[in-house]
Amino acid sequence: MNRNIEFRDVAKSFGAVRALVNFAIRVDEGELVTLLGPSGCGKSTALRVAAGFEVCDSGDVLIGGTSVVALPASKRGIGMVFQNYSLFPHLTVHENLEFGMKVRKMSRSQRTTRVGELLDLVRLAGLAERYPHQISGGQQQRVALARALAIEPQVLLLDEPLSALDATVRVEVREEIRRIQRTSGIATVFVTHDQEEALAISDRICVMCDGRVEQIATPHVVYRSPATPFVARFVGKVNDLAVEMTASSRVRLRGHALEFSVPQSEMQSGEARLLIRPEDIRVTSSAGGEGLQGRVDGLQFGGATTSLDVAIAGTSHVVRVSDSTRAMQFGIGDVVGLTLDVERVLLTRE
Amino acid sequence: MKISRLSAWFTIGIVAVFYVVPMLAMARFAFQRVPVIKLSWGNVFQKWTIQPLVDSFGSPDFQRAATLSVMLAVATALATIALLLPTMTFAHLGSPRTRRFIEISAVLPFVVPAIALVVGFAGAFRDTLPILIRSSFGLVPLYVITALPFTHRTLENGLAALDIRTLVNASRSLGASWWRTIAFVIAPNMRASIATASFLAFTVVLGEFTIASLLLKNTLPLYLSYAQGNNPQGTFGLGIVLVVISTVFVAMSNRFGKKVRS
Repeated sequence: MNRNIEFRDVAKSFGAVRALVNFAIRVDEGELVTLLGPSGCGKSTALRVAAGFEVCDSGDVLIGGTSVVALPASKRGIGMVFQNYSLFPHLTVHENLEFGMKVRKMSRSQRTTRVGELLDLVRLAGLAERYPHQISGGQQQRVALARALAIEPQVLLLDEPLSALDATVRVEVREEIRRIQRTSGIATVFVTHDQEEALAISDRICVMCDGRVEQIATPHVVYRSPATPFVARFVGKVNDLAVEMTASSRVRLRGHALEFSVPQSEMQSGEARLLIRPEDIRVTSSAGGEGLQGRVDGLQFGGATTSLDVAIAGTSHVVRVSDSTRAMQFGIGDVVGLTLDVERVLLTRE
Repeated sequence: MKISRLSAWFTIGIVAVFYVVPMLAMARFAFQRVPVIKLSWGNVFQKWTIQPLVDSFGSPDFQRAATLSVMLAVATALATIALLLPTMTFAHLGSPRTRRFIEISAVLPFVVPAIALVVGFAGAFRDTLPILIRSSFGLVPLYVITALPFTHRTLENGLAALDIRTLVNASRSLGASWWRTIAFVIAPNMRASIATASFLAFTVVLGEFTIASLLLKNTLPLYLSYAQGNNPQGTFGLGIVLVVISTVFVAMSNRFGKKVRS
């Protein structure tokens, strides 16, 4: 049987608030798709609808090709890991892992064998007899993941499982989740509002806003070729500049005399926004190819990379520019030239 | 700081005197073989005996009443937990409005007099379900209501200390039914609250007089009232035993309550 999950035009409202609007996505076996968006965009609602904790107003959810919307949560065959620590506090790690298997009336020997396998999988073999309060947050989430996998679900749903963890543990558990997901080959839906997490862990990212899908693509495409201004602004950092279209492939920075060439656009004239990522602007010690000049206003050291805030001469525009720390030679007050990688810009209506 | 501590001890002292002096007076009356008129400081340690209590324990009427009261107390505690735990769990998962409604309903027994409760109960069930009026166990629903202000608050504290929604969702996603979720996930994590609520329900039943009297059931408090004529010293002795048992239960519930809060 194909172990996948598909949302078909799912809609869900809470009173006047439309949490999901024609939400449609399919996650195949072995794939990890991240639902990414700001708080309240509907990503957790989508997961709760799939899990059976919410009933959708319309549309369908199929697991392994079979509609599950009429089934209660306990019959859907999904494994879920929650944002809050969800281990049963009165049970040991071993007993937590056994819980779902007991419900399925597996024999004691089968349970013991499976618990051993799962503990090995999440690398917590020595903690079987500990209670949840005796292990760390990261370990708790790994046990929760193992518990979700214990019932051999068709689909794994992860609802911001890393958000309660501190930064270091977060990266560690994130990599662990990815390794385990690849090992088990299970179709996985991962919910997060953290773009870095989404870019690092996903096979595909589904960016959501106001209950709608903005873009579904690989992390590279989402970052490099955002389908909408929202995606460009939400995923990664972006410079958002006010421009005027002078032709379908020419723009002028508002308040500036110089024109730029940009990729062919549907817009011929009028006011627009030009979106460009910090690393797509090259900073040089002399004037850039398009003749843009600016003064370094701020400097943010970020370890491997350093970012500069550059005020463009004669305007109120400030752009952020990033480069490797080793290549960045400028200080505050330096006059620099700016060259935009025009192939990377995204133009949008005001 | 010193003054407030002093005033606290003073208050505790006053309360202790208020509580202990009548108890000592009861104890002297019950367990000293000295006519009441001759009780004085001079014979405070003379002729103590537990014979009146032994006589009371030996009485078949007492045994019947005590057995009934204990059975009613156990039934009330069980019914309270069976009714309240799932209801309050669902209320916690549902809207805050439901919780508020239950909270207000739970304190109503404080303001509704027992007589009104009995009259309403008898009026409603005399013809439709007469067994509730005839059987002594018909008292259980009334006792559940009477104990509600105490039991509800205790269980509410326990539930508030848990992340109910996540636990329930986790259990349901692992394939557990609602019944299994409440019995094997919620209840074990509420042990302390359940024990406290049970002790409180037990204590309320052991001391309840009005409802049993109006419905003509021979519970322990009624026996104590009626038996005063035949064996006044014995009934006062039983009164003391009852107070001690209730105090122990309240102390135990308090101890469990602390465990819940921690």
